[in-house]
Amino acid sequence: MGKRKLTIRRKESIYGYIFIMPFIVGFFAFTAGPLLFSLAGSFTDYNITSRMDFVGVENYQSLIVDDGLFRTSLWNTIYYVAFSVPLTTLGAIFISALLNQDVPGIRVFRTLYYLPAVLSGVGVYLLWMQLLEPGTGMVNLLLGWVGIDGPNWLYDPDWTKPSLILMKLWSVGGSMLLYLASMQGVSRSLYEAAEIDGASRWRQFIHITIPMITPVIFFDVVTSLIGGFQIFQEAYIMSGNGEGGPANSLLFYNLYMWNQAFESFDMGYAMAMSWILFVIVFVLTLINLKLAPRWVHYEGEEK
Amino acid sequence: MKNLRIFLLILTSTTLMLSACAGFQTSDSSEGQTNEEGKTVVDFWSFWGSEIRRPIIDKIVADFNASQDEIEVKHTYSPWGDIWTKELAAIAAGNPPDVVINDINATAIRGKENQAMNLSEFIDDDFSDKFYPELWNATLYEGDSYGIPFNTDTRVLFYNKDTFEEVGLDPEDPPETWEELEEYAAKLDVKNGDDYDRLGFYPLWGVGYDVWLLNANGENYFGADNNVDTVNINTETNVEVLNWLKSWRDRIGEDVVNSYQAQIDSQQGNPFFSGDLAMLVQQPTFYTQISEYAEDLNFGVAPLPEYEPGNGHTSWGGGFVAEIPEGSSDPEAAWEFIEYLTGAEAQEYWAVQNFDNVANIEAAEAAAQSDEFSEEGQMVYQIAVESMENTLLTPAPVEAPGFYNYINPHVDEFFLGSMTAEEALAQAQADVEDLIESNQ
Repeated sequence: MGKRKLTIRRKESIYGYIFIMPFIVGFFAFTAGPLLFSLAGSFTDYNITSRMDFVGVENYQSLIVDDGLFRTSLWNTIYYVAFSVPLTTLGAIFISALLNQDVPGIRVFRTLYYLPAVLSGVGVYLLWMQLLEPGTGMVNLLLGWVGIDGPNWLYDPDWTKPSLILMKLWSVGGSMLLYLASMQGVSRSLYEAAEIDGASRWRQFIHITIPMITPVIFFDVVTSLIGGFQIFQEAYIMSGNGEGGPANSLLFYNLYMWNQAFESFDMGYAMAMSWILFVIVFVLTLINLKLAPRWVHYEGEEK
Repeated sequence: MKNLRIFLLILTSTTLMLSACAGFQTSDSSEGQTNEEGKTVVDFWSFWGSEIRRPIIDKIVADFNASQDEIEVKHTYSPWGDIWTKELAAIAAGNPPDVVINDINATAIRGKENQAMNLSEFIDDDFSDKFYPELWNATLYEGDSYGIPFNTDTRVLFYNKDTFEEVGLDPEDPPETWEELEEYAAKLDVKNGDDYDRLGFYPLWGVGYDVWLLNANGENYFGADNNVDTVNINTETNVEVLNWLKSWRDRIGEDVVNSYQAQIDSQQGNPFFSGDLAMLVQQPTFYTQISEYAEDLNFGVAPLPEYEPGNGHTSWGGGFVAEIPEGSSDPEAAWEFIEYLTGAEAQEYWAVQNFDNVANIEAAEAAAQSDEFSEEGQMVYQIAVESMENTLLTPAPVEAPGFYNYINPHVDEFFLGSMTAEEALAQAQADVEDLIESNQ
């Protein structure tokens, strides 16, 4: 046999690399450079056009020690993530469980619940601003019919973040689709066996469905956690003039970073902010990965 | 195995090299660009892409292109949210456009940061006389101009003459002072239980609290020539003005304010059009909405009332400049276009077609007489031009970029009732002073 003969294992790993080649090329050609540049820039007073002097850890120091708005923005973002991630995950599982039933017209319902995920961006935010209008909006009108005096939503600092979370809940259709797909993949025989053993629907759901979809839950939690920390557009549009009002209650991390970069042209400062956010998200993801083996169940996994 | 590894390596590096080459080819900017006919190409960016504005600016560009045979201006529309971040990236990459429309209030900062070019080499001694001095001064950093004022705006009081007559007020005598404003508003109110069938006035529709502070003080928060040695945020007058503004809210009631606000936001449902609101502060261009949605409305326009008799009818405005980004391939050609753009002819065309305030004084005054306006239009435009004399801009000092981000949240807290005016302004003052210190 010639020395060109490869083992199957080697062959497979080469195929693997060829398949991920587009990403790797893209990463090194377009992402890696700016990434390293922003790390270097975070130690300077870079302002894009005229200045790039080394200032050591001054940016990090003043962010952590002096900057009140940095703390406000971090707090706002953590608040948002802490509520929106669990609520949207639970919401998506709940809806997909409902849509996994075999009832007439289920396709229509699936389409309806998925629709909000197709619509996106500024148009939706403007629509929600109208819906949440305290005096004339639909939300308060509906609440009024059941005798609830609705809050001032986007005008009351205590309600602005809940408003955004409510809006996010409306568009859980995207992750609902993932859950639905994985629920459909759960083997019928498991349910049949449980039924013979006399397990109720609820117990089947808790002990079969949930464990079988944990890989998707894990994926959803990780990605929506990362996405949650990057919230920007919603605040930029829905705080009216992009300042993060009222009373800074919508000043999220990325919005403040954007203001520093493109309004004050303090790019070095903004770069330092982005690296702090990176560290926070990185640590949280690591924790997630460490915790995963305790609750995520992969079928066919070797223990 | 080895061969394959080498193959992969070569593939990767070629891809990288190719992408790098492509990157370098596009950023060739040091030499001026010319088109096939040998004309110098000036790349012009604006955010005027609407159905109304796009044809107007395109016509101005076409007129300029036809007026000479050296320069060909190419107009590129970039949306409001993108244009300046795009421009900044283009400057950093060394391949910027040649003329950009940008916000007048941060012109000095862009000059300081070397984003915009120092235009003093092109400017004659009397060039600046063509523009309103307040606008011209906003473009200066250390005495040099970094952008030429293009258009601007101001705030005036629109009032409904029929309602004035109905309650026995002289329709030709709009309120002159804040005191009269309150008195007239109370007369014009028509209450119906807790609700209003008609509301006289509410100061925070159409403008923010800062316009009333500016009106009362006759100056911005900072010292002469925008120096930051003095910061006048926490002052007795400002406390009084904030409390005055809040007293309207308390008197009229939160719910009424919110439901009127929603109608105003919906544009065609504006209660001013239906006579449910008797007075409203707005930009003069509000007239175009009146003529579209409420043609028969019998209305008048007046300067903003003054804080106290003799204090001055100070109003607030903003605007845009035409500037040359640092690194433009042909600044001389770019400047020729800017001169045309801010010259009397183009400015008058813009003013008349858009019903917009322009920076060129001659053009503004000519527009007020324009035959293309109706009598009412001429009246509104005339007041707008007069109001320009008392209109102040609030450009950000180079030491305090985005200063309002440090004041607004505290004032929000005041209006929401979680702080007193003194507390809110004291905190705002401290935050702005910190901001200035960190930028010095």
